Amino acid sequence: MLDVGRHPNIELLAYSEVEGLKGTAGEFTITVRKKTRYVEEDKCTGCGACAEKCPTVVPDAFNEGLGERKAIYSYFAQGIPSTHTIDADHCRQLNGKKCGICAKTCQADAINFDKKDQVIELDVGAVIIAAGYDVFDPSQIPEYHYTEIPNVVTAIEFERLLSASGPTEGHLDRPSDRAVLKEIASLEKQAKKSQKTLARFEEKYNESSASFYDKFQGGQYEGDEDRQKWADKYAAHLAIVEPLESLQKKAEGFTVARRLAFIQCVGSRDFRFYPFCSGYCCMHSIKEAIIAHEHEPETASVIFGMDIRAVGKGFEEYKIRGGNDSNVSYVRGRVAEISAGPDDNPVVTFEDTRERKVKNQAFDLVVLATACAPIKGMAALAETLGVALDPYGFIKTSPLSPVDTETPGIFVCGCAESPMDVPESVAQASSAAERAAEVVFQPEMKEEKAVA
Amino acid sequence: MSKDVLVIGGGIAGMQASLDLADMGIKVYLVEKLPSIGGKMAQLDKTFPTNDCAI
Amino acid sequence: MPDQNEDIRIGVFICHCGSNIAGYLDMEALEEFAKKLPHVTFVQRNLYTCSEGGINEIKKGIQEQDLNRVVVASCTPRTHEPLFRSSCGEVGLNPYLFEMVNIRDQCSWVHMKDTEQGTAKAKDLIRMGVAKAALLEPQEPIISEVTTRALVIGGGIAGMTAALAIARRGYEVVLVEREASLGGMLNALNQVGPTMMEASDLVQEKVKAISEHSRITVFTQAQVTEVQGFIGKYHADIETESGVKKIDVGVVIVATGGRALVPEGLYGYDGKRVVNQLELESLLKGGLRPDVQNVVMIQCVGSRNKERPYCSRICCQTAVKNAMLVREQNPEARVCILYRDMQMYGVENEEMFRDSKKKGVRYINYTPEEPPRVEDGKVQVYHALLGRHMDLPADLVVLSTPLVSHEDAETTSQLLRVPIDENGFFLEGHVKLKPLDFATDGVFLCGSARFPSNIREAVAQGLGAASRASIPLSKGSVEVEPIISVLADEDACRGCGLCVALCPYGALEIQQTEKGRKVHVIDVACKGCGVCAATCYQHALSINSFTDQQIGAQVDAFLAG
Repeated sequence: MLDVGRHPNIELLAYSEVEGLKGTAGEFTITVRKKTRYVEEDKCTGCGACAEKCPTVVPDAFNEGLGERKAIYSYFAQGIPSTHTIDADHCRQLNGKKCGICAKTCQADAINFDKKDQVIELDVGAVIIAAGYDVFDPSQIPEYHYTEIPNVVTAIEFERLLSASGPTEGHLDRPSDRAVLKEIASLEKQAKKSQKTLARFEEKYNESSASFYDKFQGGQYEGDEDRQKWADKYAAHLAIVEPLESLQKKAEGFTVARRLAFIQCVGSRDFRFYPFCSGYCCMHSIKEAIIAHEHEPETASVIFGMDIRAVGKGFEEYKIRGGNDSNVSYVRGRVAEISAGPDDNPVVTFEDTRERKVKNQAFDLVVLATACAPIKGMAALAETLGVALDPYGFIKTSPLSPVDTETPGIFVCGCAESPMDVPESVAQASSAAERAAEVVFQPEMKEEKAVA
Repeated sequence: MSKDVLVIGGGIAGMQASLDLADMGIKVYLVEKLPSIGGKMAQLDKTFPTNDCAI
Repeated sequence: MPDQNEDIRIGVFICHCGSNIAGYLDMEALEEFAKKLPHVTFVQRNLYTCSEGGINEIKKGIQEQDLNRVVVASCTPRTHEPLFRSSCGEVGLNPYLFEMVNIRDQCSWVHMKDTEQGTAKAKDLIRMGVAKAALLEPQEPIISEVTTRALVIGGGIAGMTAALAIARRGYEVVLVEREASLGGMLNALNQVGPTMMEASDLVQEKVKAISEHSRITVFTQAQVTEVQGFIGKYHADIETESGVKKIDVGVVIVATGGRALVPEGLYGYDGKRVVNQLELESLLKGGLRPDVQNVVMIQCVGSRNKERPYCSRICCQTAVKNAMLVREQNPEARVCILYRDMQMYGVENEEMFRDSKKKGVRYINYTPEEPPRVEDGKVQVYHALLGRHMDLPADLVVLSTPLVSHEDAETTSQLLRVPIDENGFFLEGHVKLKPLDFATDGVFLCGSARFPSNIREAVAQGLGAASRASIPLSKGSVEVEPIISVLADEDACRGCGLCVALCPYGALEIQQTEKGRKVHVIDVACKGCGVCAATCYQHALSINSFTDQQIGAQVDAFLAG
């Protein structure tokens, strides 16, 4: 990542999108929109003082919405470039409110609220599409209740929960528990505020609110307006404190998630959604189960899958090691349903094909190994570039020319071509680089057959 | 006739393709729609089968 | 050792990093402290040393204050050392007379709540950096020419693809194949999935392209018997039928492929009624006998077991493809595949898998605890879903055996000084991020020599390895950072070779000199990791910019605090 950022031959156009393509192999003209960050890129040093002071809190996309960031932000801590960006949808200043705190804070004078998008043209000889993939949205699967049951998360959300730089600093706190803790924090804040108001009355009348309230309810202070106010405030305070105490009691029993279920083929190998196999998800689940066990040795994971596809170098060995050392077990079959159970423990319904019985099993947390889907804008991008797609929306190639699109001079690599794992993506990236280099280095050989 | 190359997407594949080309002496424009490059792999904690850090 | 008479003038630039450092450490105290350190003649604080203004201050300091060493106390060298180094170079100070001290990542950031202790630690770090800076020596980058020719070992689909790609880019290629003709395993195959193209057509197409290419020299029935040298300058001996050819190349691509395991002693294998998939390919090529009406295939024969724990990746797709071809030739034939997990990963494979079910191929799952039993004319299997054993009639049993490494992989590995893994496949530089490179520069890898690959994957890897290998070819030279190992004390070296054995990059060799056996550092191959210097019990080897004296001075400076 770092090497890309500082390579003299690479011009990085982050926060930008390709809007047009004209011409043919060797002579393409590309239109690129550089979206405004409202921050001068040559001045921002990425120090983060602006984000620290920014008053607007927004869910953090990098942490899959599980954490929070500010309206001015760097995409992630080690991101390249480290230039900060103002989120125009949430920034107070850009939405007509008085603010501009970031501009006052920035010592490099980098904030510019008037900065506009810039549209530039590039002349290139070849194009490589490495647009990646989107994670399948599991809320489309009614029987898994992803939206309704808080402790059902996707594999990439789980990844952020496992990460030391993620919203839980790597502790496997369950989303339902985190919601309760958030509610407690909010109630505590309210309670503190109302406590302050009560304290004023208590000082004035030199009496505790509780003993006053008893007398008040006995009808002692009828007609006393000031004491009526005190009583109202105290009632409101109790309405905060009582649920707070019960939540606090509940929170005492919270532990990190230890019983984990991983559901494979969520959206993949499913005729309703994507019939293909997403390739990497089996290994992703095994890895997450092993890492979770590293974090918390009492963790036990069950991976539910039709086939466990551990096909890469060292993968089968890794799978066996997970089973032997990390408390991971494998159940063959597709999970029929996930339902809400007591204590926010999701219940997984499946057929044990070995015993030929339908079973229900409760877990602390269920992780959905979601399909590798084409990116949302893929059809539009393909149209802009004039390349063909396969029936599923990936860029079309052929087995003997694995990185050539049907348009000469335009190549593809990684999950934009089809679902694949990291080493394959890296190998394909080099293949696409090779094909692109052949176009720009050897123009006289352009006519040579496009077969690789 | 241009000898430059455009790479669309700054994930692991786009970064590797850009580096290969740049190391060959080719000028590369790397376009990424998000504020920083890194892609999905930057979101990963560790990777199988070696449990190395992602990037 | 630096010139003893040199007047050492060190400038120390302390960065606030906005508030990342200044918010937590006492910056004035650090400035005053640095001023009093030995050889320090100039100290300056900057809001951001990495900004244009900050860089200009460093340049001004070198020019106006006559500084001959620069220390920047700021963030991490990972991101900023190259910038500071080149800035020094721009005004005529050797870039290796620069030292960086990180007072942010492991200092201000981790001691945010304790300014006093954090500041004390920053002082220690700066004192250590200054002590080392005083002993720094100028270094010059190491540049070595590259012979713009590639050697590709192995003429299968991966090697042929790589050779063609490199030739298309305008470089010469020498392609060495051990067999009498190019094509590798394709020569033994019938039709290849998922397009069901005739394997022989594919081979012919590639061979034609290669023969038409003036830049490719092909040696068949040939073997590489000797390789000397390093990236850019390899000398190889190729034993051919007409004698030994000596060639000079800049890079080497290993594409030696694999071979299908012959399952001697497993499931009654006899090569006639019980065959492996490769043998089925040749039966299909010649046309299946019409009386073959019941075919049972067994997956994972000889793999995913104690002896060979890996999954060989491509045997499931091969079985599915061949099962369909059997049904095509004998449409009434019953074909059943007994499997553990159907490894039909990705889009094309899964498509083929679905297609095969539509075409009547049947699948039964088995577990390694209850493997199928091959008996005369039938196969007995435990059907888990039905919960009972069943007998499948079998005119032909096909065993799906794994691809294993080639017999001569070990020899090739020794010739090129690159590693192989516990399964006998070549071991790449990094299993995730450098799949086609070896740790040793100048040697690359593709196809089933790395791990079993189907044709799409082998072609992609062949192209990818060509890309990687073309980088030094297109540069025409290799430039290496001079922070490498040097034989600092030749007399001390006894030529024991311990360092040679431990070097992960093949950068050391023993040479016979007038003074006897001595180690020689191949400087362009060295990555400066320091394993050799740390191992040498004679202290003969040393790493530039990390000499014993420099590190010792840092330790002394720390202990003096």
